Amino acid sequence: MSLIRREFLQLTATGSAVLGFQQTAPAFWGKIADQAAGQENILVVVQLTGGNDGLNTIVPYTQDEYYKQRPKLAIPKNDVLKIDNEFGFNPALDGFSELLEAGLLGVVQGVGYAQPNRSHFESMDIWHTCQRKAGDRADGWLGRAIDQMAEGVSTETTGMHIGNRKQPLAVASRHHRVPSIRTIEQFRLQSQEKASIEAMRSLAQSENSAGDSLLNFVQTSTTTAIDVSQKLQQVKNSKSTNVIYPESELAGKLKTVSQLIASEIGARVYYVEIDGFDTHAFQAPAHTALLRELGDALKAFAEDLLEKGMQEQVLTMCFSEFGRRVAQNASDGTDHGTAAPMFLIGSGIETGLIGKHPSLSNLDNGDLKFHTDFRQVYATILENWLNCDSSLILDKQYESLPLFVAS
Amino acid sequence: MKTGQTNIDTDWAWSAYQPEQPQDWTQRQVAHFYRRCGLGANPEMLKAGLQKSPVELAVGQISNRQESAQVEQESATLARSVLATADAKNLPAWWTHRLLNTSVPLQEKMTLFWHGHFATGAEKVKDAQLMFDQNQILREYALGNFGRLVHEISQDPAMLLYLDSASNRKVHPNENFAREIMELFVLGEGNYSETDIRELARCFTGWEIRRDRFYFNRFQHDFDEKTIFSHSGKFTGEEGVDLVLEHPAGPEFIVGKLIQFFIADEGLQDPQLIKPLAQKFRNSGLEVGPLLETMLASNLFYSEYAQGRKIRSPVDFAVGFLNSLEGSTNLLELNKGLDEIGQRLFYPPNVKGWEGGRIWINSSTLLARTNLMQSLLKRDETRFGQGSLSEYCKSHGVTTTKEAVDWFAELLLAVPLNDHKQSEIVQRCEMIDGSYETKLKNLLGLIVSLPEYQLA
Repeated sequence: MSLIRREFLQLTATGSAVLGFQQTAPAFWGKIADQAAGQENILVVVQLTGGNDGLNTIVPYTQDEYYKQRPKLAIPKNDVLKIDNEFGFNPALDGFSELLEAGLLGVVQGVGYAQPNRSHFESMDIWHTCQRKAGDRADGWLGRAIDQMAEGVSTETTGMHIGNRKQPLAVASRHHRVPSIRTIEQFRLQSQEKASIEAMRSLAQSENSAGDSLLNFVQTSTTTAIDVSQKLQQVKNSKSTNVIYPESELAGKLKTVSQLIASEIGARVYYVEIDGFDTHAFQAPAHTALLRELGDALKAFAEDLLEKGMQEQVLTMCFSEFGRRVAQNASDGTDHGTAAPMFLIGSGIETGLIGKHPSLSNLDNGDLKFHTDFRQVYATILENWLNCDSSLILDKQYESLPLFVAS
Repeated sequence: MKTGQTNIDTDWAWSAYQPEQPQDWTQRQVAHFYRRCGLGANPEMLKAGLQKSPVELAVGQISNRQESAQVEQESATLARSVLATADAKNLPAWWTHRLLNTSVPLQEKMTLFWHGHFATGAEKVKDAQLMFDQNQILREYALGNFGRLVHEISQDPAMLLYLDSASNRKVHPNENFAREIMELFVLGEGNYSETDIRELARCFTGWEIRRDRFYFNRFQHDFDEKTIFSHSGKFTGEEGVDLVLEHPAGPEFIVGKLIQFFIADEGLQDPQLIKPLAQKFRNSGLEVGPLLETMLASNLFYSEYAQGRKIRSPVDFAVGFLNSLEGSTNLLELNKGLDEIGQRLFYPPNVKGWEGGRIWINSSTLLARTNLMQSLLKRDETRFGQGSLSEYCKSHGVTTTKEAVDWFAELLLAVPLNDHKQSEIVQRCEMIDGSYETKLKNLLGLIVSLPEYQLA
């Protein structure tokens, strides 16, 4: 939270207490505070690549059908970390369990979309662009949000992708180049001679190449890379943390996100990925390790944000391109499925299970039926968290969900 | 791949390119051919290429499938030491040695294409020998018969391990391989149903890997009737593969991918353009050689729709640079750099391989591309024509920074560099304190950091 906003909230709190209209004031003050929030709120997206097995993540531990369909893979009832009388977390998710207890975690159940595609790449593209194959996939939903939030601004740091591999289509934008950064330290030119950086920057500038040509794309990408790396060299080491992150790749990426947020570089959207969820064979050990990495990393991230006083400013959303088939296969794994849970972490969100768990008996050809369209989750976050007009980003108005605590 | 119509005349597009005047056939065009169909060309190769016609150039590469004895021998020695370590991490250095020294560049380029197409990652397979063996299959069939390659790959231990099909039982078969053979290897997404996948998976039951070899376990095979693409029968795995290969969508899918790989990243996925080549591919019984013969000598290949219309892959970026200037360097360092810029050989990001095009480029890979070039130029081990850069330039009659910028641009850039930028480069390098060698290296460093150099 910026100093201005923090002081503002303190002022309003003491002010209203002094003036004694605490009962009537929130509607008025709340609106102004929300507007301020809308300009500074940050969304961190964590992509679980490969298709996370929702049923072994949020376990329906009272349902016989679950144990019948998964003789070898089901999580024993006594092992789950109970959420309520019917559902519990996979035991590797004690990080999530603690976040839930702290009132910071919400689980949106049964999320998917109509006529699900079970190809990793196709389904991921659908989640990224909100377009089916025939549609225009030049940009992604976050790229469109970035274009909206940074309209007319030349900043190239409204969105950031953490990693040095393929940039997710979700952040592809028409008017901005979203930087991909593995770590702040690595994100620099080896030669720090001013003259040679200046030379590269000057020579990379476009002259008369067409706006959408490959050359123009490389030119603008190059100047963005040089500018952002120069900017980051200055903000480096701005704030360190006492929180000890686990030694995992995801934890490292989230630590970088926390550093970048603390540097006040101004990004509104951060994107990180954790790969390996395509568990067709010998699922149990792999899935356990992945969920542990996920839960532990996000718990450390939340603690870090709390320590830095930034917890109210950051919402984290986790999704996967699909869930997995209800029945296990013969290689002790699961094949591609459909509906699955999404996870939201932050201080203003509705905690616990949101929406019904999909039925295990009423299936679509062996797959769970979704009841909540993922674009409803997007729309709610875009409207209520990022202050964007979701209908422009998602092509239509989706019904919003009760994901945030009413203020 | 985005499909869309173009207004390109199909007959013109696939007819062989015949320069109207001898002076229309230039060094720049030969360089274009080798950037796409090989791994860059040095000045001698460019000169020799000018003596051939476009058709001769393509046919020469397609019919030449025998690696030189010297390269084979060096490669075998390297392979022995790499495989003795049993660590797949050392395989990329083995392959880059071939890429830097090969006498049959198109064969290596196509091996790279198939490696991305039938992407198999050593991260999961782990076994260096199995990854090496798969690479040999890809090379053997690189310019051969696609159907036979698919059959080989579908029983290749590395592939089956990668796609979790090393033991496939008749109750609840694993669908992974059945899905990817249709979606990514032969047909493309959308040309099959989920039922087709489930039925094809039944054909592959009983396919196992035992002691690193393919093994058919009849006790685990589902011998009952299956229905795939409306054909019913008690299909075996091999017959299942044949059904996929006979599906009409296959040739279009492969031809589209080859157009993207060889001609342009974007804008040429036009069904009208693809159709005649797909027909030819189908009629030949899925022979890759004749297909490439048409494609790589065509008007379209040498046209403005192709020149500079691809982003260099990391291999094209780094190996192409070294090959164009007869360079050699430390192979382990080179591979570390390739990894940083997004193409670690034998370790594709997932079963879809490297998608290429704009995806190669982001701020992180761009900085890493520049850093890789800087470190290559700085290393003493990096030699050009076995000597220093200035000696190499001199041996080609290039003795000033002004001449060097022209020469490098002609050798390395797919799009012309305007005079303004050329003189800016010379000016900036003349201001640097240091020897002529230092100036030349700075100059070359700036050229390969240009956005223009990122284009192939």
